[in-house]
Amino acid sequence: MKNSTFSEKMKKVDASRHIECFIAEQSLVGTAIGAACRDRTVPFVSTFACFLTRAFDQIRMGAISQTNVNFVGSHCGVSIGEDGPSQMGLEDLAMFRSIPGSTVFYPGDAVSTERAIELAANTKGVTFTRVNRPNTAVLYQNNHQFAVGKAIVLRKSDKDKVVLIGAGVTLHEALSAADQLAKGGIGARVIDPFTVKPLDAETIIQNLREVGGRAVVVEDHYPAGGLGEAVCAAVSLEKGIIVKHLAVPTIPRSGPPAVLLDMYGISAKHVVAAAQEILKL
Amino acid sequence: MSSYHKLEAKTVQELKDIANKIRIHSITSTQAAKSGHPTSCSSIAEILSVLFFNTMRYKVSSPRDPSNDRFVLSKGHAAPALYAAWAEAGLFPTTDLQNLRKIDSDLEGHPTPRLNFIDVGTGSLGQGLSIAGGMSFVGKYYDKASYRVYCLVGDGESAEGSIWESVHFASHYKLDNLVTIFDVNRLGQSEETSLGHDVETYRKRLEAFGMNAIVVDGHDVEELAKVRAKLKHLRRRNRNTL
Ligand SMILES: Cc1ncc(C[n+]2csc(CCOP(=O)(O)OP(=O)(O)O)c2C)c(N)n1
Repeated sequence: MKNSTFSEKMKKVDASRHIECFIAEQSLVGTAIGAACRDRTVPFVSTFACFLTRAFDQIRMGAISQTNVNFVGSHCGVSIGEDGPSQMGLEDLAMFRSIPGSTVFYPGDAVSTERAIELAANTKGVTFTRVNRPNTAVLYQNNHQFAVGKAIVLRKSDKDKVVLIGAGVTLHEALSAADQLAKGGIGARVIDPFTVKPLDAETIIQNLREVGGRAVVVEDHYPAGGLGEAVCAAVSLEKGIIVKHLAVPTIPRSGPPAVLLDMYGISAKHVVAAAQEILKL
Repeated sequence: MSSYHKLEAKTVQELKDIANKIRIHSITSTQAAKSGHPTSCSSIAEILSVLFFNTMRYKVSSPRDPSNDRFVLSKGHAAPALYAAWAEAGLFPTTDLQNLRKIDSDLEGHPTPRLNFIDVGTGSLGQGLSIAGGMSFVGKYYDKASYRVYCLVGDGESAEGSIWESVHFASHYKLDNLVTIFDVNRLGQSEETSLGHDVETYRKRLEAFGMNAIVVDGHDVEELAKVRAKLKHLRRRNRNTL
């Protein structure tokens, strides 16, 4: 897998810091938990996000073991494209969010991914970093300060009427939706949560209040247990806030990434439509 | 086996006595808790006695010391026997064992690192050996230290595919600091295991995976202690299993 996940690049930096665990995900996770014991190492487990689900029991037990293992799941969502549903991680956020004490990073560009990994290495407990397959534009300056539980407001004006929240590839869809909405005269605020857990409820609620309480959340994940439900849970006690949730609703199929994002209702076009709709409510 | 010095009769008796104490503690503590697995514990009484009082190198005063040998009880449901071994080693009073499974005791139904002598939670069968493999890899290739890792697996548990993933890993990386013990007691939870007492098949399977397999009577402390000398010898040939 190391040629697909690019973990083989680690071998070029320092081959001794790479342990090949072969195609045996349960053993992979157990090996990392063992390697982390007595603080001997800071392990990162790298494979496709979908295949980590095979070791959920090991991950769950890892929490009981008070492990500090860091997981990186690549190839998440329908945006991987042609390889089809067997290779798409669409349950991984739900799985890692459910782990007590876990931290879930979902960075939206190269700079924030690098910072996420650095923060993960220094964070106690299980961490999960969800990474995309497609190349995405760089959004942040190299010196941007990231923190666990600190969302970033990427677009903002005084006239905003709606908040758009996306992560990874869908953050880019949200940004392009904001551009399109702006052309139609609707100001949209765009928030990058950076960590799905802990979620920066304060920033999200404050911005929602400023725009009048309407949000669209868009994610490349099944509806259950991902970013959308995290946002809904965070605002559940807030009066006057409503959320429209866009996620992959059914078992997806093979196809070009952009076509799939559109087909499963999570492209910029759908975000625009959802924003227009929620403004009528 | 010229390096093997026969145990003195006194030592043999001591190891047998400790095994019986572990057995008795396991029965009385599970009796007090009104639940648990006393027979799974009794099955490993001699193995724990020999490991903790003859074979393993560790400081009782510092149970998770980086230089200690490690022990992973993959068949975590036999926790009462492991607790008894540490109590007999002097880490805490044996009277505490009667608090097994109580709400205010960390001697829980299965081991967790809430206890200072436990590295990882076990109790979901099939997972301990991969963890022990990770520890052994770090010991051999990163720490480059002499500590060994011992992992005790149930025979029923060995039906888990993850056990064989881990055996493959240990064998591939020549983890000669890892000692895997299969406790072939014939029984699983509700009936006999598929292989019963067929230790030959276990031996062949483990050897096919590249392990050095040694079959011994797990209730014979002298036989078990002898393995220690064999391990020293085998170390040069890498990858150990019992
Ligand atoms: C993954 C998993 N499946 C099922 C169980 C339930 N369980 C607890 S003990 C046991 C039997 C274990 O048999 P064996 O490994 O032979 O150990 P023994 O008690 O015979 O020493 C089972 C099935 C479990 N703890 N973990």
